[in-house]
Amino acid sequence: MRLPMFEFAEAESAAEACRMLAGAGPEAALLAGGTDLLVRMKRGLLCPQRVVSIRRLRAGRPAVARDGARLTIDPLATMTEIAADPLLREACANVAAGARAVGSPLIRNLATLGGNLASARPCADTAPPLLTWDASVRLESTGGERSVPLHDFFTGPGASALRLDELLVAVEIELPAGSSGSAFFKLGQRAALEIAIASAAARITLDRPGGIVLEARIALGSVAPVPLRARAAESLLAGREPREELLAAAAAAAAREARPIDDLRASAAYRREMVAVLVRRALAAALASAGGGQ
Amino acid sequence: MSREFQVLGGRAPRVDARDKVTGRALYAADLKRPGMLFGALVHSPLAHARIVRVNADRALRLPGVKAVLLGKDVPQVRFGVSPARYDETVLAQDKVRYAGDEVAAVAAVDAETALAAAALVEVEYEELEAVLDAPAAMAPGAPKLHDMYPGNICAEVHQEFGDVARARGQAEVIRQDTFTSKMQSGAFLEPQCALAEFDHAGRLTLWSATQTPHYVQRTLAMVLGLPEHRVRVVKPYVGGGFGPKASASSMEIATCLLARATGRPVKTVFSREQVFLHGRARHQFRHEMETGIRRDGTLVFLEHRAVLDGGAFASFGIATVYYSGSLLGGPYRLPNMKYDGWRVVTNKPACGAQRGHGAVHARALFEQQLDLLAEEIGMDPIELRLKNVMQAGDVTCNDLNMSSLGMRECIEAVRADCGWDEKRLERRPAGRGIGMACGFFVSGAGYPIYRSRTPHCTVRVRVDENGGGVHVLSGAAEIGQGSDTMLATITAEALGIPLDLVTVFSGDTDLALDLGAYSSRTTLMTGHAAKEAAESVLRQILEALARAAGEPAEDFSFVRGLLHLRGAPYLNEAIRAEFQKEHRGFGGLPAEGPLTFREVSRFAFLERGLIIGTGQYRPPPLGGGFKGAAVGTSPAYGCSAQVAEVAVDLETGQVKVLRITGAHDCGQAVNRTQVEGQMHGSMSMGHGEALYEQVLFDARGRIQNPNLSDYKIPTALDSPELKALIVESHEPNGPFGAKEVGEGGIMPTIPAILNAIRDATGVVIDELPATPERVLAGIRKLGRPR
Amino acid sequence: MKRLIRLRVNGEPVETAVPPNRTLLEMLRDDLGLTGAKEGCGEGDCGACTVLLDGLPVSSCLVLALQAEGREVVTVEGLAREGQLDPLQQAFVEEGGVQCGFCTPGMLLAATSLLAANPDPSEQEIREAIAGNLCRCTGYQKIVESIRRAARRGP
Repeated sequence: MRLPMFEFAEAESAAEACRMLAGAGPEAALLAGGTDLLVRMKRGLLCPQRVVSIRRLRAGRPAVARDGARLTIDPLATMTEIAADPLLREACANVAAGARAVGSPLIRNLATLGGNLASARPCADTAPPLLTWDASVRLESTGGERSVPLHDFFTGPGASALRLDELLVAVEIELPAGSSGSAFFKLGQRAALEIAIASAAARITLDRPGGIVLEARIALGSVAPVPLRARAAESLLAGREPREELLAAAAAAAAREARPIDDLRASAAYRREMVAVLVRRALAAALASAGGGQ
Repeated sequence: MSREFQVLGGRAPRVDARDKVTGRALYAADLKRPGMLFGALVHSPLAHARIVRVNADRALRLPGVKAVLLGKDVPQVRFGVSPARYDETVLAQDKVRYAGDEVAAVAAVDAETALAAAALVEVEYEELEAVLDAPAAMAPGAPKLHDMYPGNICAEVHQEFGDVARARGQAEVIRQDTFTSKMQSGAFLEPQCALAEFDHAGRLTLWSATQTPHYVQRTLAMVLGLPEHRVRVVKPYVGGGFGPKASASSMEIATCLLARATGRPVKTVFSREQVFLHGRARHQFRHEMETGIRRDGTLVFLEHRAVLDGGAFASFGIATVYYSGSLLGGPYRLPNMKYDGWRVVTNKPACGAQRGHGAVHARALFEQQLDLLAEEIGMDPIELRLKNVMQAGDVTCNDLNMSSLGMRECIEAVRADCGWDEKRLERRPAGRGIGMACGFFVSGAGYPIYRSRTPHCTVRVRVDENGGGVHVLSGAAEIGQGSDTMLATITAEALGIPLDLVTVFSGDTDLALDLGAYSSRTTLMTGHAAKEAAESVLRQILEALARAAGEPAEDFSFVRGLLHLRGAPYLNEAIRAEFQKEHRGFGGLPAEGPLTFREVSRFAFLERGLIIGTGQYRPPPLGGGFKGAAVGTSPAYGCSAQVAEVAVDLETGQVKVLRITGAHDCGQAVNRTQVEGQMHGSMSMGHGEALYEQVLFDARGRIQNPNLSDYKIPTALDSPELKALIVESHEPNGPFGAKEVGEGGIMPTIPAILNAIRDATGVVIDELPATPERVLAGIRKLGRPR
Repeated sequence: MKRLIRLRVNGEPVETAVPPNRTLLEMLRDDLGLTGAKEGCGEGDCGACTVLLDGLPVSSCLVLALQAEGREVVTVEGLAREGQLDPLQQAFVEEGGVQCGFCTPGMLLAATSLLAANPDPSEQEIREAIAGNLCRCTGYQKIVESIRRAARRGP
């Protein structure tokens, strides 16, 4: 398979990348890991005149930096780095798990967190986990920087709040107080190289180990036009004692919130049913790692 | 077996392994010729349409484009697989018959330009109503794909052996079931590729990723109007075939025509999408079976109807529809069998042969029925099979002769190895299941694809005139299955020399005739020819030696390359002295001990001149006199039993195959490592077909998943532990008693997995693949608690 | 339109001019004559084009040649030293880890990277490391066994 012809530019800094994007509109495409962009270009779905590589912006920084309760994740970190990052594995295990669920080792060595989010696929494996941590993304352009909560970032299949002249420069998480645990489950036919039929991430924060739920977050993949927060399900859990029946009720609520479609991978009905299963399992696992339950 | 072998039955590395692990092995796409152009094809976007107008002007104006061929520019000669069903032309003439049909071919200075030019060829279509499945194709008044197939039926079979109507009255338990599969892809890793070049004398050489150089050569000669000797087809290393590469393609022929039109070498490489568009993999099957037994488990009858959706062209389809029926004749004693099969054309990519040709899904249903029947009479599934199993010497109701058959041994082997008896009885965690199945397969088709008395292969073994070893010259197609290693091993064994004295040249129609790598024929047939050729060489060498030594030739032999006389090491000083003298300045010459093959073969060459042994193989006349009796006949049959163990997630329907234990009777194993490898490959393909694989179409007949992301074959993480147990029988018609292992091993895999799923969940899977959604729907239907 | 890039391939410095739309795979195969890496799908689904880029296995069909500027690339041709197979190659030969051979270069490189990071991997770790490298011939059984054997034997 061949790539169409384009001009190649390599940005040395975020500011330079922004300058390259400014005014270029859809004629320019950002190249990070390339696992999505190059495939779409080979298939003729995209034909940018200019490809701006931002790989050099990564330049030796750690994938994740922690400042008090704030985690800042470099969006140019590869899925391999995210999956292995000790800070994430400790504090936000489901984010690492989501990264690990992407494609295969060969893809994870190229694909970046920023690419996974910016491509805004409903099936993006890192999106539901990050949604459960109320993550936000920092977007930069020549006009300045802004921060957008991730739950406002996704606007439709392949569409996001990211403007054509903007660069995703950071993913930020403010870790909540209390005892948190998280989990991510992805359902596919195969154990690798899969696009999720459905996925679910959960985060539960208890007031103390064995205590009541301060806050719960549930997010779903591949069952709506965007990675979706299941807010009604979340609200069932807040302030309650996390009993098994309650988790099941929340899972059922999440299934009602899903807006799945039929496609070649599964029917809408099956997807909805799987949301209940995956959410229940994710909640149980999150609760266990938060130090709750039995 | 009684005889002790020197190299046969060992675990020597493949002769091509070093080339393959170093990246030195060259595949068709790796080849380059001076001045080479690149070819590209224009495919129809519509499933069924009349071609109104084609305009190549814009393509021709693109700088770098050297030729554009349209339907009118190519020979109108029809080709295909079975001469009675030649229904393809190189490029579509009046109409296109599937989304992907080739409409034009382009050659340009590089691949990018060729692809760009292909996109510039303008084709105006008038869309016709398409038929996208077998029922639609068979419906009265359905649009017709080909004038030659009334009712869109490309082949039908009606056979009855014994008396099914009478037998029905004798059966005490009868089951009727249906089973549907999906169209598949071979999913070999190497996309097809062809490189064509005419030399200055006008002789054509085609390097192609093919399983069947001989059939490609014949087709090229026929379509291009050349005598066969002016066409040479060379098969470089091939990255897997599994059936879909077993026939000549439009791409190969168009590449040759582009080379002829431009006077330059042309290479065309398929993209993965084109692999899907070209198709020729497993058909979509629908089977209905009614099977009757007695309460004691005795099989009484089988009544079987099959409809095969074959896509736009016949390809192997006639053979496929016959195999679907005939290969249920064994490995159980089945006195009454009725089969009605229809092979239908539809507006989709053509289907052809794939590992276990035609018989895999018929077997999948039949073996599930055996389990269901066993349950109804309260018998263990293995006991039911043992009760009916055939043995060596038995002949099936449709005249297939089981000249060797270790079926019972295979069943006992897997039963013991996997701990069947204990596992069936033990209380298993919810969702765990175990299932088994059997199957058998031909060891080489009894007849060539075209009607002919031709030998199926010829082999020359030549003593290297320059001294040292032997060359095996064969047309056999090494496609990864290990045929080069097999030929080296059989030759070495026949001569009594180490493997490293044998060099194999193969896969080239200039070297020898060979029908190719299909129907699991190469070990038995080409192995036979190699053995015969090697034995002739040995005779010639020993005769020359005998005269000089004054001892009878038959008293000499080689053991691991060293000469023995009546079992004792033998040295002839004069022969050694002459060899030493000829090799003044050489190091590492044999100095003491018996004469070596190197010395003796050199001596024999000096005495007699060129020493070439020839061998060939043609099966004896096989099969009964009924219509279609030829399909399914073989000089021998391999057989397999497998046990699959699965874990089903009862909430999601996901199936994890934990372990497959397989036993296969391959006759005498030629190379045990390679036998196991073929068994593993069969099990793996069966695993993929059972759980994941399906080519999906949209409502207009376009493939929705022409890629290896959405067409799913198992990854290393999905693959179960595969255990291969080799059961050896002695096949009287095989070289050193050897027979097939390439395809028989896939027969039991799908039903073993499906039987295990049923054991785990109670769900009878009547449609492949057993996706999580389908399995869960089955669980729901049984009313299991949520 | 072409740009000159410098990189190291199999330990040797390489300088070559490539157009922007050339993938690393195309550059290796068509410009440098290193045909060991294969194109099985062109979309990162099969792993036949796996090479090591700065030590990590990647699908070279999804990397621009220009992105390899200044980096270290290892292909299957770079594994054997002075004609001696490395332990992984040797194990694939002996254990029957090779059939058609089309996935073999990629498998070897994925396994090379695994053993460099984890000299004694479990079976599960081996399977995870090669999960992006499809094989249609072996069912992975003998490939896994080959990698295990090489690990036991050490470098």
